[in-house]
Amino acid sequence: MFNHAKYYLPCLILLLSGHAYAGPMGFKDSYMVMGDFNNNWRESFINYAITPRDAWGVSATYMRADDKTKSRTLEEVTYTRLLHRWNMPHAQANLWFMGGIGALQGKNNLGENDGLSRDQDFNKTMVTPGMQFDYETTRIYFQAAHRLYRTSELNHDYTSVRAGFSFYEARYDQTQPWFILEARNMNGLSEKIEITPMLRLINKNYFIEAGVNNFSEPRFNFMYIF
Amino acid sequence: MKKLFTITALSLALFSQLAHATQTIKANVNGMVCAFCAQGIEKKMRALSQTQDVYVNLKQRTVAVELKEGQTLAFDTIKDLIKDAGYEVTAIEMSTHPVAHIKADLEAKDGKQ
Repeated sequence: MFNHAKYYLPCLILLLSGHAYAGPMGFKDSYMVMGDFNNNWRESFINYAITPRDAWGVSATYMRADDKTKSRTLEEVTYTRLLHRWNMPHAQANLWFMGGIGALQGKNNLGENDGLSRDQDFNKTMVTPGMQFDYETTRIYFQAAHRLYRTSELNHDYTSVRAGFSFYEARYDQTQPWFILEARNMNGLSEKIEITPMLRLINKNYFIEAGVNNFSEPRFNFMYIF
Repeated sequence: MKKLFTITALSLALFSQLAHATQTIKANVNGMVCAFCAQGIEKKMRALSQTQDVYVNLKQRTVAVELKEGQTLAFDTIKDLIKDAGYEVTAIEMSTHPVAHIKADLEAKDGKQ
C-alpha cells in the first residue's frame, strides 16, 4: 500500500495544481443517470433537475468491506443543491450539497465459531449529507467530496479527491479523452485508500470512465443526461 | 421607362435579399468548458420553434442560434435559457451570417490559438 502511495502521491500533488468536470445533476428539466461500479462499491442513481439548482432523485448503493466480512445495501431518496457556481471566462467552479435518507440493510459476517456461522443482519435508517467542490477548464479538472453515511450506530463516511487533465482540446461535438486520478476511502469498510487511475471519455451525449485500482480491481463509471 | 423598370427591379431584388437575410444570435458565455455539461444549452435552443440551427464553440465561448426565415427571438429569451442551463451570458449580438459561416470563422480562430 505504502509503496503504491509513494508512486501515486507525487502525481496527485502535481495534478492538484491544475483541474475539471461533471456535476451531480444536469440542467433544468433534465434527468441524470449515473453509475459507479467496482467490486466493493456499486452505486446507481437517477435524479431530475426541478430548477437549475435543485434536483431530486433515488439511489441504490451496494458497499462491501475489503475483507468481505461486511456488506451494506442502501436505497435512498436524494436531494442535490448547487450552492454556488462561479462561471469564469475559461473555467467553472461549483459548490454542491448532496444528501439523502434511506433504508440500510447490513450484514456482518463475524466468521465461524465451532463450525457455526455467526452472520448478523440488521436494518437501519441512514442519512447521507455531504458537500462537493469541483473546478474545471477545458484542459484540467479537480474535485473534492466528503459525504457522511450515518446511522445511529454506523459511520461509513466517504471521502474522495480526483484530479486530471485532458490529452488535448476538443471541439464541442468531438469526444475528449482525459486522464483522471482518484483517491477515495469509506470509513468502517476499508482501512485503505483506494487509488484509481482512469481514462475518461467525454462527449456531449455521454460521460464514461474506466480504470483499475491499486488493488488490481476494475472500475467503471458513466453518466448520461436526457 | 426602361430606366424606371431597371431601378424597380433592382430595388425589389435588394428588398428581397434584405427580407430573407439570415438572422443569427451570437452570445458569449462564461463557464462553458465541457461538452457534456453544455449540451443543455444546445437542447434548449433546438427546442425553440424559431430555431433553424445551433452551434456551440467551447474554446471561443460562443453559442450561435440561427433563426428560421421570418422568425424573431428576444435576446432575453436566449439569456434566460442559457442561465437555466447553468451559464452566464456576457455579451449578445445579432449577426447576418448563418451558423455555417460562424462555425467556419470560429474554428479557424481555434486553429490559430
